[in-house]
Amino acid sequence: MSAHVKSGFKEWIFTTDHKRIGILYLVGSITAFCLSGIMAVLIRLELWSLGPTITDDPTTYNVWLYMHGAVMILGFQIPALTGWFANYLAPLQIGAKDVAFPRLNAFSLWLFWAGVVLALLTFVVPDPPDVMWTGYPPYSVVTSGNTALYSFTVLVMGFSSIAGGINLIATIIFMRAPGMAWGKLNMFIWTVLAAFTIQLIFVPVLGSAVTMVLFDKYLGATFFNPGMGGDVLIYQNLFWFYSHPAVYVILLPGIGMIFEIVATFSRNRIFNFKVAVYGGVGVLVLITGEVWVHHLYTSGLADWLRVFQMVTTLMISVPVGILMISLVGTLRGGAIDYKTPMLYGVGFIFVFLVGGLTGIPLAMASLDLAVHDTHFVVAHFHFVMAVSMTFAIMGGTYYLFPKMSGRMYSETLGRTGFWLFLIGVFVTFGTMFFVGLDGMPRRYYDYQMFPQLENLHKVQTIGTMIIGLAVITILISWIHGLVAGEKAPSNPWGSRSLEWDTTSPPGPGNFGGRSIVVPDDWDPYCYDKPGRTL
Amino acid sequence: MENRITSHEAQWHTSVWPLVISVGILFLGPLAFSFHFVYKNPFLTTLALGIGAPLILLSIAGWAKEGVEDVHRYSEGHGIWAMPVFILPEALLFVGFFAAYWYLRFTAPAWPPPGTPEIPHVIPLIMTIILISSSIAIHIAEKRLEEDNYPGFITWLAVTIALGVLFLCLKGYEWSELFHEGFSPSTNMFFTIFFSLTGFHGSHVLVGIGLFLCALIPAFWGKASKPFVTASSIYWHFVDVIWLFVVSQVYFL
Ligand code: HEM
Ligand SMILES: [Cu+2]
Repeated sequence: MSAHVKSGFKEWIFTTDHKRIGILYLVGSITAFCLSGIMAVLIRLELWSLGPTITDDPTTYNVWLYMHGAVMILGFQIPALTGWFANYLAPLQIGAKDVAFPRLNAFSLWLFWAGVVLALLTFVVPDPPDVMWTGYPPYSVVTSGNTALYSFTVLVMGFSSIAGGINLIATIIFMRAPGMAWGKLNMFIWTVLAAFTIQLIFVPVLGSAVTMVLFDKYLGATFFNPGMGGDVLIYQNLFWFYSHPAVYVILLPGIGMIFEIVATFSRNRIFNFKVAVYGGVGVLVLITGEVWVHHLYTSGLADWLRVFQMVTTLMISVPVGILMISLVGTLRGGAIDYKTPMLYGVGFIFVFLVGGLTGIPLAMASLDLAVHDTHFVVAHFHFVMAVSMTFAIMGGTYYLFPKMSGRMYSETLGRTGFWLFLIGVFVTFGTMFFVGLDGMPRRYYDYQMFPQLENLHKVQTIGTMIIGLAVITILISWIHGLVAGEKAPSNPWGSRSLEWDTTSPPGPGNFGGRSIVVPDDWDPYCYDKPGRTL
Repeated sequence: MENRITSHEAQWHTSVWPLVISVGILFLGPLAFSFHFVYKNPFLTTLALGIGAPLILLSIAGWAKEGVEDVHRYSEGHGIWAMPVFILPEALLFVGFFAAYWYLRFTAPAWPPPGTPEIPHVIPLIMTIILISSSIAIHIAEKRLEEDNYPGFITWLAVTIALGVLFLCLKGYEWSELFHEGFSPSTNMFFTIFFSLTGFHGSHVLVGIGLFLCALIPAFWGKASKPFVTASSIYWHFVDVIWLFVVSQVYFL
């Protein structure tokens, strides 16, 4: 970055530059992660022993759980993946100087922060929301908690990500550098495009559902009031019509980032690239809207619907499997270098497999009837989504750390954090499967009826402490890197992809005045040929 | 062109308006709503409205000013394309409501539920005619702008806005009649759906009028962003089409 470019406080807070907006998304989502992580610790402390442990008020537990679930998903994972990664990386990878609508981009960033503020209000308002991240009526309508905060958090965050989606889709379509044909794009670009397409189609449906809750609770409407002919199943269907696809909104950019990491650190092409794009990413987008009923197997829907969506649910494991095969295939024959990002990349594969394989029994309606709403499900989705995507976010942030900050982090700290994280995850959530199979229900603040589970609960709480330690180590490694790290070269990992072909950090306009023109034989993963700069 | 690229690389671009408008939205939407409906505190509600509304108006003005002065040149042209993409989620928002409506209607023992009066059909018919004429008016306005005929553009844009306002007035009249007769969203399922759908559509008309105002005011100084006008008019046509769904399915079916 040239020294004469002015960059003070104003250039950050009012910025319309996609890289800085990305970094501000990172700051917001890590803040959200820490807060809702503290909620997870409180939850686990409460479950440490039989009977009330740190609170004797079940509503308090509900508020923690609301904070934990809603903020982890809406405030941490979606913004980190579609805000931070997509904003920072996508324009660089396609050789653009910025996104298509820079001010709209800043608008979605600040709406996201408005959503974070709304979530934080949970701590200060009287009667905070206690409706979990699902906000199911009738409880969300009759509770004395402030459901409006929940609905508005969803609406504000949803609008923010629709604005972000329009922006990045337009960017990818119109702002590619000359010569950057569709066939030359990075895997990450395809996953972002798919994630935002899903987001644009499905978020508004969730918006309509939470708006109906607002209307019912505060404006006298009766959508969900059975006494007036209303039906709560409408909410459940609309909610999951969005919230199943939402897991792919989270999965896709996450796995896209893991692809970039794995290709770079194995010095290898992405195995089966085209099959992964068409058969993996493409097919996911096509069937993601036809599987939501697997969340409603116990809700009393018609059998034909349950059986139909059981089949589609099992089908959707095929594209996901294709993506996994490509990931593992990329490792094969590669010259693997286990730097911190790559540890997260490989860790992702293991954690995701555990989550994915335990999902297959859950897809069978007959089996799910038994374990629905137990900790088995909680363990499953923490493996498949919560933890594996957190691995993607951590790994990707380490991967981009030199580029965004211009400094290197400490490998020792980075690796320590990873191993603590991995161990903590298996101790916590591995054990959680067994507690769940033994019948421990989800969302209970006490388990008087299962005294024999107390020891296993203690194990999980200890695991959570290890995860807490891991997160602290990770934060220290970043802060340490920022203040004391060595200066980073422009391409510390020797990647062939375009985002590394500029200074660390890149200045305004991304490529220091160069106009990028991409040659005919460009390939972001050409590790079998000598690399080049454009 | 060369010049512009260099100027872009020489500095970090900024705009205060995205941040200001977000703060405004936070106050005007979630906070004012909570203060009023949840905590029933008139003072705080007024305060939130008093902070939110000016911030939003100010930043719309500021944003539009930057837009016509074309400070952020990268968006050139793509705006026309962004609006149809934005309409996709907008349409799906209505799909959610219509799905709920038809589900409730099919599972109801009788429709409309007992106690629902005949809703007069004259007003919705007039409203439909008004809205369709306004779509034609904005189309003519666009034509005038293309010919760089600013007085013509301003006239037809003003006609469009007036028709939109008239539409909202009629809707307000219809609602207040119903309220006077003692009907409200909690009367029965028909009125829940009636008020939700027409109200939700009405809020979109309001947004459309807002967009047109953003185009009208700079036009008096002889400035207009053509992509912005096209985008707003696409949005207006969409609101029009949605009304056809609302009017046919809520009033006439
Ligand atoms: C970091 C360590 C974490 C721990 C120890 C943890 C622990 C827990 C526990 C014990 C529950 C279930 C509580 C109950 O049902 O009574 C839960 C629920 C949940 N967690 Fe986590 N979690 C962690 C991270 C995450 C992350 C990263 C996400 C991101 C998506 C996440 C998303 C959720 C969701 C959506 C629920 C369901 C909330 C509900 O029932 O409404 N968690 N977590
Ligand atoms: Cu699902």
